[in-house]
Amino acid sequence: MTESPISEEPAPSRPRFPWQYALVAVPLVIAGLVFWWGYNRAQPHQFSGAVIQSPTAAPDFTLSSDTGPVSLSDYRGKLVALYFGYTFCPDICPTTLQDVADAIEILDDGDATDVQLIFVTVDPARDTAERLGEYVRHFDESFLGVTGTEEEIGSVATLYGIYYRAGEGSEATGYLMEHTATLLVIDREGNLKEVIPFGVDSDGIAADLEYMLR
Amino acid sequence: MRRMSACTSAALLLLLAAGCGDGSDIEVSGAWGRPVPAVAANGAFYMVISNKADTSDQLERVSSAACGAAELHESMMTDGVMSMSPVGAGGIEIRAGSEVVLEAGGLHVMCIDKQVDFVVGETYELTLEFAEAGSVVVDVEIREG
Repeated sequence: MTESPISEEPAPSRPRFPWQYALVAVPLVIAGLVFWWGYNRAQPHQFSGAVIQSPTAAPDFTLSSDTGPVSLSDYRGKLVALYFGYTFCPDICPTTLQDVADAIEILDDGDATDVQLIFVTVDPARDTAERLGEYVRHFDESFLGVTGTEEEIGSVATLYGIYYRAGEGSEATGYLMEHTATLLVIDREGNLKEVIPFGVDSDGIAADLEYMLR
Repeated sequence: MRRMSACTSAALLLLLAAGCGDGSDIEVSGAWGRPVPAVAANGAFYMVISNKADTSDQLERVSSAACGAAELHESMMTDGVMSMSPVGAGGIEIRAGSEVVLEAGGLHVMCIDKQVDFVVGETYELTLEFAEAGSVVVDVEIREG
């Protein structure tokens, strides 16, 4: 029997849908993504301010608010954001307080309740406890504003390395305060952890707070 | 289109030149203020001021019915210490074809002894007095950062 002239060519292979490639590529991509995520998470967090590496206990103090005496130690277990300013200030202080309020909004609800902002006035002559309370609560209901005698304010500011001085304004303004405009962040263990300079936006502040709340 | 005679062109140019002092060379954009607490004595207004003229100009004075007094101030940071002082007698210089930005942490209009509550959405009139361009009135909008 004669063999029919069957073509010697192998049957043309149908172009296979590249499942076999997908089988290899997809796990590779997933592995790549997992590695990248893990690598990023393992990177040290980039802080927006100066970090104090060795544990430095934040000195305790007690000052007056319109809801009673406020001591730093009352808030052990929470993050405390400490800011020295004054209510007569039109620009820097409202901007910073708004940035912190916005940062707290960015945090998860659980985290948000663990952050306490305390605004210490460097202008006790003008800033009564009542005025401070109304002022800070405009930005966030949880904020506390505290005052004291000139001596008490002076000693707390010195403990925190905060400089302030009355400077000459204009006839319309009267004196204006110069002051160190940094946000001091004290961690849950009561250590002064970070000094955030003016100008860091709410995203930057939120990222640092969230990292410290982990 | 008929070509204008040299006379007509010259007349037109003179008319345009006569427009100086009506503030048209100054463009103010993005005038805003932050909603500060009702109990706060003062507030601040920020904006961008552009000088389209070919000579420099100075913003000498500001005023607003929303403020007991309005002044130009500058916040300055030196070694971490923030201070603020009134802008000197010459006012704020805006060079020809240039612009000046009034923003948080820098130059700003200080609204002293504010007469109104700064509520988000409200606008207040602010009059800017320039040495060359004369009076320019802007609406300042109160809004969140």
